Amino acid sequence: MALNNPVVKNIIYLVLFIFRIIVPFISLAVVIKCFSSLKRGRRREDPVVILEDMVTHEVLPVLYWENSLGRSKSCDIVLHDATASRDHAVLMRRESGWIVTDTGSKSGTFVNGTKVQGQTQVFPGDTMAMGSTALILKRTSDTNQIKLKNSVSRQAASPFGLLFSVTFIQLLLCIQACFSGGKFSYMPTIPFAALFVMEWGLYLYSMKGLGRVSFELETIGFLLSGIGILLISGMDVKSTYVQLGAVAAGIILFSIMIWFLSDLDRVMRWRLAIGILAVLLFAANLLLARERNGARNWINLGPLSIQPSEFIKIAFIFVGASTLDRLQTAKNLTGFIGFSAVCMGSLFLMRDFGTACVFFVTILIIAFMRSGSVRTIALVCSVAVFGAFLILQFKPYVAQRFAAWRHVWEFANQSGGYQQTRVLSYSASGGLFGLGLGNGWLKNVFASNSDLVFGMLCEELGLLLALVVVFSLAMLMFYARSDVTRSRSTFYSISACAAAGMMLFQTCLNVFGATDVLPMTGVTLPFVSLGGSSMVAVWGLLAFIKASDERTYAARRKSK
Amino acid sequence: MKTMGARSFILYIFGLGFLVGLCVFLYGIVMDGGNWAMQPFNKHLTSGSQLSNGGEILDRNNVILAKSENGKRVYNADETTRRAMLHAVGDTKGYISTGIQYNYRSELSGYNLITGLASPTGKSGGSNIKLTLDSALSKLALQQLGSRNGAVAIYNYKTGEMLCMVSSPDFDPSNPPKDLDTDKTGKYEGVYLNKVLSSTFTPGSIFKLITSAAAIEAIPDLDSRTWDCNGSITIDGNKITDVAAYGKLNFKNALAKSSNVAFSQIAIELGTQKMTAAANAMGFNKSFDLDGITTSKSVYKVDGAKANELGWSGVGQYTDLTNPYHMMLMMGAIANGGTPVKPYLIDRITTQFGLTTKSGRTQMDGQFLSSTTADRLKAYMRYNVASYYGDNMFPGLAVCAKTGTAEIGGGKNPNGWMVGFSSDTRTPLAFAVIVENARTGMSSAGQIASTLMISAAKTIK
Repeated sequence: MALNNPVVKNIIYLVLFIFRIIVPFISLAVVIKCFSSLKRGRRREDPVVILEDMVTHEVLPVLYWENSLGRSKSCDIVLHDATASRDHAVLMRRESGWIVTDTGSKSGTFVNGTKVQGQTQVFPGDTMAMGSTALILKRTSDTNQIKLKNSVSRQAASPFGLLFSVTFIQLLLCIQACFSGGKFSYMPTIPFAALFVMEWGLYLYSMKGLGRVSFELETIGFLLSGIGILLISGMDVKSTYVQLGAVAAGIILFSIMIWFLSDLDRVMRWRLAIGILAVLLFAANLLLARERNGARNWINLGPLSIQPSEFIKIAFIFVGASTLDRLQTAKNLTGFIGFSAVCMGSLFLMRDFGTACVFFVTILIIAFMRSGSVRTIALVCSVAVFGAFLILQFKPYVAQRFAAWRHVWEFANQSGGYQQTRVLSYSASGGLFGLGLGNGWLKNVFASNSDLVFGMLCEELGLLLALVVVFSLAMLMFYARSDVTRSRSTFYSISACAAAGMMLFQTCLNVFGATDVLPMTGVTLPFVSLGGSSMVAVWGLLAFIKASDERTYAARRKSK
Repeated sequence: MKTMGARSFILYIFGLGFLVGLCVFLYGIVMDGGNWAMQPFNKHLTSGSQLSNGGEILDRNNVILAKSENGKRVYNADETTRRAMLHAVGDTKGYISTGIQYNYRSELSGYNLITGLASPTGKSGGSNIKLTLDSALSKLALQQLGSRNGAVAIYNYKTGEMLCMVSSPDFDPSNPPKDLDTDKTGKYEGVYLNKVLSSTFTPGSIFKLITSAAAIEAIPDLDSRTWDCNGSITIDGNKITDVAAYGKLNFKNALAKSSNVAFSQIAIELGTQKMTAAANAMGFNKSFDLDGITTSKSVYKVDGAKANELGWSGVGQYTDLTNPYHMMLMMGAIANGGTPVKPYLIDRITTQFGLTTKSGRTQMDGQFLSSTTADRLKAYMRYNVASYYGDNMFPGLAVCAKTGTAEIGGGKNPNGWMVGFSSDTRTPLAFAVIVENARTGMSSAGQIASTLMISAAKTIK
């Protein structure tokens, strides 16, 4: 249906422009609301229980879900006792109650006089002896020596309100898409309807079915996925179908992972299997993959083509993260570094340079959070620099990829700068509010909806919305960082930081690669880029962040 | 878990990297977004050609020089006007890089940071640009040039308004000739250059004004000195000649008769340092800026020159080169007591909503020469016209001027120059005219200057 009447046409232009002004502001409001609610919803750092010294009657507050005990100043509960080991034991809160584990101390740990072997349950009133110190576990209510901080309301932002706003944003974008290119088409309502069903389905399942109180991270996920899918629908509605399927698969993966992550003993048991599976997946990739655009990172399974490296990202975090008691007993990183080396090696064989960078940064985050050793990081970095040097030495064509970097205008019509110059030119053309869904020209450039999607977002929906998208991805990382000491286990802390750091770094590579701030590497923008495997995987990564939120598993305990 | 909290600060490094990268991108888009968007491949601007949807360009009398209609760029209805204004306005494809359509393409296209190239109403949001140029005067200038190549520049040296800026060869921007880019005969050589701004020519005798300025400053008894001008002088075995043997000449007649013999001796007497200092002070070896458009540098370079070469340099030969815009500006300086008013081309830029975003105004440029030197030079130049060229060339305008016939070698005819200004405060016009492949300066550039000054003076009074 063509719109021929010029007056009607002008009115529609104006209305669509107003919609494009409204969308980034509502999106920003939703994002701010989500993160302020997440921040408010974090566990307060009040003592969970207390330990009382039997001799001195000194009261030691236990602040975390996992606490290291020992002589070392870095321990959460410092024992001023020369006979205690530096890292003596770990006191953990689990579903079943409080558990103590000896982490290889010289003199051993005793609960009510019995030497601890493996994990031993401790009840209020029980005595734990370490070296020559004996501590009684007590409830916080048993003492008045501890003052609780003024309690701030942890009331979460209304999940219904948040998701309703996201649906409204998607409706405005859907109307934009319906009028794309000056013609009316009802086709974009299909992805809108599919998104509507999925987001409200997950809402009902988790709020009513599981009784959870928070929906902020899911809201962010749907906001970003919706923007990405509707952006693509302005170009070609058919190509959103696979993407919508991927969101559905992603939501299922997200739900399964949250369930799986709820039992840390189960997670730690499966870790080795997950690691082996990841290596096998890499092997399968290397054997089966056909080269596509210079990289061999795809395998075809019937009608579907899958990028295994996206799923290995999740496995990688599983293998890398660990609970505190295991961190204390297995201090060296050999196993993890070995696994990382296999992953990196496979990626280089696949010539997937961008993903290799993302893995490398994740290795850095995990290695540092596990060891705290600057020396390890320096070693890893110098190995990487040496490796990069070797590659440039023996494979000089790799260096050619950097030839146009920061000089793209000189390569405007050559391979090195063609894409970036189009991204810059069309991004600037879009201004703050864009030229309208489907009215862009960048979509005709190769990889516009994946590697260059940031440019497409700027051109069609404006710089403001594009900034809101990258801002919310950055906020995910800052949230994960601020939640580190408040999650239920170091496993959740490390995995959330690694997952969020990975997503932000991937965002940097995508956005800055396309805009010539960094060399172009060809990775996807989380949630937004077209790419099924990538979409499924980011929902998996989001599950790690969700698991680190203490409230995620709180409802389940209450309902027991 | 306390240690985890401390270690997690590693993420701030990535956060910082992200912010730095984002700032680089945002700085770029804020500072340079207009240039990013104004690319020939940007299909929001073009449907095959640039500015299919841009604002209007008007002359000082609101004559439309260029506008966009139905997705096409259209120019003035009169072909000679289109050709005369070509280099000032620019072509559709943006090949004339000194044209308004190229340099102000973001203003014309309506690009701004807030809406980019989007227009809420679906119509062009481009600004209109009003120039200070007079299209009728420019048309006359092109008619006077006829089939000859050259350049004409006129400005009001009190207000700074550029009135005429014409360069030839030219073409019709509405109907560009098919062989424009494929021609091998050289008939379109320099067709994309605005010779007023972007070309330099051998100055010939007009350079004697610079030598004169240096002499006024350095030789106290200049007016009581005389030179024997017997047709030629041999310096280091190299003969410097005059058109005729003039006999004994004082300074003012040496300038009026344009004696190479006298002026080469003066240049040698002054030496390389004083000559270079005077030339640099008067704007040689540097470029100027006309509303953001950069001009070519005039060249005076006598490092390591032999005595005869220094002599030749003093009469505007050797390696001397001058830019027509610079010569016009120098005339403005002499007319205005040594310090010129800075010329401007854009009267104002007005957005679609009537908001004026840029308007031209009168402002001073840097000093070229001291006011006493300027006034003495002005008197000599007035004497040139009054006693030699003839005031009937410029009736009632009290013009001060100097002609030049610059030998360019290579078997080509000389370049004819005339530079000057009206010293009458009611007609504050300064000009520079050059005609390539001419016989003499007076017969070529002199005639054009005469016609244009008379016409310009009528419109300005």
